[in-house]
Amino acid sequence: MLRLKSTLAALSVSAMLSGTAIAADPIKIGVVTPLSGTYAGIGQQVRWGLELATKELNATGGIMGRQIELIFEDEEANPSVAVQKAEKLFQVSKVDFLTGTVNSGSTLAVGQLAERSDKLIATTVSFADSITGDKCSPNVFRVNAKAGQQSAALAAWLVKAKPQAKVYYLGPDYEMGRSTVAAFKSNVDRVGGQSLGEVFAPLDSKDYTQYFGQLRAARPQVLYTSVAGNDTVRLLTQLQEFGLLEGLTILGASGTVTAQNIAAIGKAVEGFVTGVGYTAEIDTPENKKFVAAFQAANKADPDLYGADSYGLIYAYKAAVDKANSTETAKVRDALRGLAWDTPQGKKTIRAGDHQAEQIMYVVQVTGGKFKIVAQVAAADAIGPDVCTRF
Amino acid sequence: MRDAITLQTRAGHWLVALLVLGGLVFAVVGFATGDTFYLRLATEALIFGGLALSVDILLGYTGLLSLGQALYFGLGAYVSALALIAWQSFWAAIGASLAAALVCGLAGGLIANRVRGVYFALITFGMAQVLAKAVYNTRALGASDGLIGVPVLDINLGLFSVSSASPVGFFLFVLAVTVLFYVLAAYLLDTPFGRLLIALKANENRVLFIGYRTSTLRLGSYLVAAVIATLSGALYPMLRGFASPELLFFSTSGNAVITVILGGVGTLVGALYGSVLLTIVKSVVGSWTEHHLIVIGLIFMAVVVLLPKGLMGLVQPALVSVLGRGSRR
Repeated sequence: MLRLKSTLAALSVSAMLSGTAIAADPIKIGVVTPLSGTYAGIGQQVRWGLELATKELNATGGIMGRQIELIFEDEEANPSVAVQKAEKLFQVSKVDFLTGTVNSGSTLAVGQLAERSDKLIATTVSFADSITGDKCSPNVFRVNAKAGQQSAALAAWLVKAKPQAKVYYLGPDYEMGRSTVAAFKSNVDRVGGQSLGEVFAPLDSKDYTQYFGQLRAARPQVLYTSVAGNDTVRLLTQLQEFGLLEGLTILGASGTVTAQNIAAIGKAVEGFVTGVGYTAEIDTPENKKFVAAFQAANKADPDLYGADSYGLIYAYKAAVDKANSTETAKVRDALRGLAWDTPQGKKTIRAGDHQAEQIMYVVQVTGGKFKIVAQVAAADAIGPDVCTRF
Repeated sequence: MRDAITLQTRAGHWLVALLVLGGLVFAVVGFATGDTFYLRLATEALIFGGLALSVDILLGYTGLLSLGQALYFGLGAYVSALALIAWQSFWAAIGASLAAALVCGLAGGLIANRVRGVYFALITFGMAQVLAKAVYNTRALGASDGLIGVPVLDINLGLFSVSSASPVGFFLFVLAVTVLFYVLAAYLLDTPFGRLLIALKANENRVLFIGYRTSTLRLGSYLVAAVIATLSGALYPMLRGFASPELLFFSTSGNAVITVILGGVGTLVGALYGSVLLTIVKSVVGSWTEHHLIVIGLIFMAVVVLLPKGLMGLVQPALVSVLGRGSRR
């Protein structure tokens, strides 16, 4: 009997404790990101970036005095899996916020789920314009640069570096390849460049020389391409073998030349130019500090995914501090128009479409490494707000 | 005295009854605790169970290995999503999906059934890849982003209506539909047509010698499987609110084959149990480690080696002998 009483007393004490402890419960952030498969490398950077920021904030008291807890789930780069895992995090783990989705299809599908579950999500990777464009959602934010910003930044640089440039386009023959070329072409037309022609080669083309006749006849100063992976290797080395790189500047999408294929392209990659939202080369004290901390924690350099994910945690902290709450409606209001500091410089979330405005960088390969050649102001790269849903 | 096939079918019916009972208990518990996630996960398991059921009709009864059944699942998902966005009507979505299933199933069946064995597997695989690529590159269908914005709908069933947003309501609805698929498949396979399919699996030449046109039989079986897979797919966007090209990918077809082998080939009910089990294992192991594919691969290997007749091989023989004794008395 005595034992029962003391157990009851202990229970009531612990109940009281847990009652008062609610304020100190951790803030849970769900992360649905690819941890296996083709995109595991991107998911790794997302994870490193989020974990580094979380560790830094937790060491200085977390958010509103509450620690941050990250809960990871493998998205497998498949929207069906992503939605199922996101629902688990929303309903079972009761996360306050969710991020991590990589492919645009997953972000859109999870965004719709968030809207129906009255939760907020943010992507730090997906770049399809539609996410903050015609398929925008009041519950979805994007803190990384969308495809349109990369392309606008490149065009803004082009008009200064080569006014009235004559541009030729070569893209991979599938939907995404065609839409990236169309987007850059409209940017070139907007800034007064001259478009000479375009050609689309099948994915995994072995031989690009069949297009070189057209290319030479058009006499362009600039070739824009959105091929990726091994296609870039073949295209650029074949251009070099045919002596066509002489006097020709190659511009590309941000995925055209990456750490994965730059070594294989060799000398032919020299002078390649692209527009990005982040590069470890950014020469500011904030970025140097971030890169050093990232290297110390993960023994690897951060790329744009790691940096954008790192910045997101600080954006969420700023918003929750401002709202003094983790409630969806209040945090949404706080995120709209929020300006915060990241290693990439100041970012601002545009209230009209939930897209982060940020300085864009134009980088060129010099001596086998990307070097920053220009900065494009956030306002010049963001483009019009086409979201009509809110 | 009943023959072995009838007894086995009877055993299957009992196991389905057990599944329904389990489903009802689960629904009551889920409703009482106000659960959302597990009820909707179980709904998804049943939807993919329907797809696996269609694979089992081909693999377990007709002896045709389809590596592209996702073609019909994805077809159903896209047609249903488009119909729901356009008309917000459940019956319009189901009607459109059924029409698409019949047309595409007939066309696909005529192509695939020209060949047998490994060539059949390759052709079904190829057809699914072609459709997946086409959808992946079609702007009007959302291309690689998929179709989102499928509305939450009320399914009007005459006497009452069920909201696709109600976890327990939609779970019970999908449970009923899945059982309907099972009943339809089990009934068809119990008719002389079904017996001929089983004979076809054993020895196609002999069926030909008795005087049956085997190509028609194979086409019929293919068409039934296509309809069940398409209608299962049509339920998917009602649950999740979107359709994506990944639903047409090989991973979906391959998963359905794994489900059938796990549950027990040629049992029909095994496909449903297999799907429930695989979904639970994936969800639990997936949250536990990012190396979940290795764990699932090991489980699959263990089942193939230790339980060649799948999970149903553990219980069905015992049930058959009990039923057999009962019928002799």
